[in-house]
Amino acid sequence: MEDKNKKSPFVTKVELGIIAFAIILPFIFDSSPYFQGLLIFVLMWVILGTSWNLLAGYTGLVSFGHAAYFGIGAYAAALPYYHFHISPWWGLLTGGIVAVILGYLLGIVVFRLRGPYFALGTLASAEILRLIFGEEEWLTNGHNGILYMTTWVSKYPYYFIALILALGAIFSVKFVMRTKAGYYFLSIREDEDAAQALGINTKKYKNISTVISTFWAGMAGAFYMIYMGFIDPEVVFALHNISIITILVGIIGGVGTIWGPAVGAVVMVLVQELFRSSIFGLAPSWVSGMHAFVFGLLVIFVILYMAGGILGDWDLIKKKLKFSRKVETSK
Amino acid sequence: MELFLQTLIGGLLIGGLYAIIGIGMTLIMGVLGIINLAHGQIMMVGMYLAWLFWMAFGLDPYLSLFLAVPLVFLLGIFLSKYLLYPLIEKDSILPENQVLMTVGIGMVLVELARFIFSSDYRSVKTSYSDKTIMLGNISLSWPLVIAFVIAILLTLGLFWLLIKTDLGRSIRATAQDRDAATLMGISSKRITILTYGIGSGLVGAAGILLLPIYYLFPDVGPIFTVKAFVITILGGLGSPIGAIAGGIVLGIAETFGATYISMGYRDAVGLVIFLLVLVFLPGGLKQIFKI
Amino acid sequence: MKFTKILIGLIAVGLMFSLNSCGKKETGPIKIGVLLPLTGHQANFGTMEKNSYELAKEEINAKGGINGRKLEFVYEDDTGKPDVGRSAAEKLINVDKVPMIAGGYSSSVTFAAAAVAQQYRTPFLVNTGSVDKITQPEDFNLTVNDGDKFYIYRMNPPVSEYASGLESLLSEVVKPKSVYIIHENTAFGTKGAKSFAKTAKKLGIEVLGQQQYSAGTVDFKPLLLNAKKANPDMVYMISYVMDAALLMKQAREINFTTPKLYVGAGAGFTMPAFKENAGKASDHVVSATLWHQTLPIKGAKEYYDNYVKKYGGDGPDYHGAEAYSAAYVVADVLTRCKGDYSKETIKKALDNTDMMTVFGPVKFVSYGKKIHQNKMKTYVVQWINGELKLVWPKNLANAKFEYPIDWKKVWAE
Repeated sequence: MEDKNKKSPFVTKVELGIIAFAIILPFIFDSSPYFQGLLIFVLMWVILGTSWNLLAGYTGLVSFGHAAYFGIGAYAAALPYYHFHISPWWGLLTGGIVAVILGYLLGIVVFRLRGPYFALGTLASAEILRLIFGEEEWLTNGHNGILYMTTWVSKYPYYFIALILALGAIFSVKFVMRTKAGYYFLSIREDEDAAQALGINTKKYKNISTVISTFWAGMAGAFYMIYMGFIDPEVVFALHNISIITILVGIIGGVGTIWGPAVGAVVMVLVQELFRSSIFGLAPSWVSGMHAFVFGLLVIFVILYMAGGILGDWDLIKKKLKFSRKVETSK
Repeated sequence: MELFLQTLIGGLLIGGLYAIIGIGMTLIMGVLGIINLAHGQIMMVGMYLAWLFWMAFGLDPYLSLFLAVPLVFLLGIFLSKYLLYPLIEKDSILPENQVLMTVGIGMVLVELARFIFSSDYRSVKTSYSDKTIMLGNISLSWPLVIAFVIAILLTLGLFWLLIKTDLGRSIRATAQDRDAATLMGISSKRITILTYGIGSGLVGAAGILLLPIYYLFPDVGPIFTVKAFVITILGGLGSPIGAIAGGIVLGIAETFGATYISMGYRDAVGLVIFLLVLVFLPGGLKQIFKI
Repeated sequence: MKFTKILIGLIAVGLMFSLNSCGKKETGPIKIGVLLPLTGHQANFGTMEKNSYELAKEEINAKGGINGRKLEFVYEDDTGKPDVGRSAAEKLINVDKVPMIAGGYSSSVTFAAAAVAQQYRTPFLVNTGSVDKITQPEDFNLTVNDGDKFYIYRMNPPVSEYASGLESLLSEVVKPKSVYIIHENTAFGTKGAKSFAKTAKKLGIEVLGQQQYSAGTVDFKPLLLNAKKANPDMVYMISYVMDAALLMKQAREINFTTPKLYVGAGAGFTMPAFKENAGKASDHVVSATLWHQTLPIKGAKEYYDNYVKKYGGDGPDYHGAEAYSAAYVVADVLTRCKGDYSKETIKKALDNTDMMTVFGPVKFVSYGKKIHQNKMKTYVVQWINGELKLVWPKNLANAKFEYPIDWKKVWAE
């Protein structure tokens, strides 16, 4: 897989196609800002999922606390506004940087941990931040949250900002994975001790991976604040709704694949929203109560039968589909 | 002084309950090497079963321990046999797949509970729910005392199982070194599945003991899952004694935190202890007790 | 090849969405959006409100509907999360094309959804979300003079006024010198505690302490013992029903008999489940409330009885009454629109609302920092021998306020 990448151009034809498609997509749904809103959510999850994927999927550091970086990015945008009426838009500059700083500081603690300890350490860091931001009302307005009347009603600007961020995340990961650092990440993932024994400065490369990953998570958080206009600690530091869903996006799409999180984000948002809205009101209303149930079943199914995720097991899926449909054998 | 003693004893009693929640988790984490994010949800299942028996037959929650716990145990067996164990044998990039499987299981369990029982709050009212024992000026809630005693009995039973029986020895061996245990002829599949069942049964029992004191709704679980993590790390992976000590330390630390710092930071106390232990005592209390 | 196929498919879907809006049938039902938490941990209240909306809708339609057309509510589940609430509000406005939204349960979700409604200039009649800022235009970058640009209306009083009925009871009868405040750490809890602390200051009551707790607290004794040590004249608690029961039960367990009064700030303290779970410890507890089925308001009792008849269970509390009345306000507003169901006409009709509901009179007025806020009286109820009685204000009371209270006797076995 990695070998193929090396010879192929940095941006392949298929990717160009996807980008072109992503650019025209919102215009297709011009009449439905609601659907455009869903697309923006997809892009936000692409950013988060891609960020997580670099750290977990490529470097083997499975973070269960990505909400920490997401939340701090969101508050980096929100707090200057709350206290000094500085536009949250500056968050698109500061959000990522603040998250990187937090990532570095937390890294001092959590990088000493391995396996389930690492998972729990990251999980606990996000939880502690959630409690602190909820409790310190003088700083964060606590559980009341921070509201900002968003700049535009139109979805287009937000869509394209999110698209730029998402592509930035995806291609920065793609870029770094084509450099030497990328190989070091993979060797850390496969066997950290062996990598160290080979003379790789594992600490340094873990930090590089963390910097890129947390930067994008923080940017996603800042974007969330700008776009949603409302955050509170329970929302942005959420264990389940942010940290875990981020992981699920990565897992469903395909861990350790460039476009996996993008696929996962599309699937996750569509499934959730389809069921939450009872398939756009076409199904009886009790269906809407089942959205979490169906999503849970989907998670179980994917992990059980497609351990590599949709993209990771794409060849396998194609094979099975071919078996039943016998179409498009060439390409 | 009254405040101090009441805080101490209150923390101790709660700690007893936390201990059983923690033992289940520590066994699972030790043997399966995963964090079980469905732990609280399995506890919720146990609580609903006991509540159901109480509603339908008027069965006292303490008696339904004998009925509900085996059912939760079977649920655990089922989950591990068909959903978790197959993942161990499968090759995947991240071992964390199993953890995410528990997330999926947890979501499905909660939504099933909501579907069947709705989101209403439920509780079990027994004749002793309101009873208290006074020790001087210190009041002990009767159900909490019973829960504490049963927790101790359960723990003793578990110890007997772990130390005196072949099954127990196999579990401990697998927890310490899975590969070595397999080489010694232990069927790691059987042990893995059984351990998840036992862990589930234990946390189910904890839920049932909590029922007369607390209340029940489909989302009751996650808070207790987080507590179970803290206890497990505090005690050390796979160490039941560590979990008991961890549970009691957590219970006491929480109540002291609540009394003397701020109730809002009650949960943070546990998490801060947790991070400190992770950093300074990575093996948990197990390192000190050597069990 | 494959690509174009997908593209064509998507364009078709896109068209479907836009077609949705074209089919304006002038004789079909009038659709109004309702935003409520129907799943998640607030779902039991959301369901109570949904049931009440449905109950009202059936009655309204049975009486001929809105100018001959049927009324229909389109429910969206906000799952208790602000971000979901926002996209659900967007869906109601953009996909279902409703000219008006009602509902709004949790404070933070309502606030987040209100921002959406405001941006799309869609009238939003809030029936439960209670943080003050929801009807404060300054939080939406407007001023109090921008009534014509402000699309949020609220029927229930803001949380800072939940205890207003209590004030006169305290100043005239109980006259406590000190208070200890216990509250859950949510927007509703912290705001409520803050505003009661202000009220206390106004009444010359010293606040001896203010403590919060988070969901999942099993043992409240440390908190209660701190309160006991402070020795307050009254304890003021803001909690949902199960925590409320635990608080009172454990207060009894530690023999915290010194306060003259235990007061709950509505929310959980008026629900039957509170009494069931707290048992004896619930007796003589006082609570501020927004509504009670025994109030001498036309229709209150009927609504309560019909609800119990139709849905069973414990019956609705003020949340249900709010939803039920909101449905009637919606019907009244739409009827006055006389066939033009555009957002602007509805907004104007909302401005002129002046009607009676089972929840009390509804009229949207401006005062202080708030506009489009319904001013309401609140009441005081007390659990007397296992029944919730209205004890204040005196002229409406259906039972004598039990006071002074000897907790030792009340709580005795």
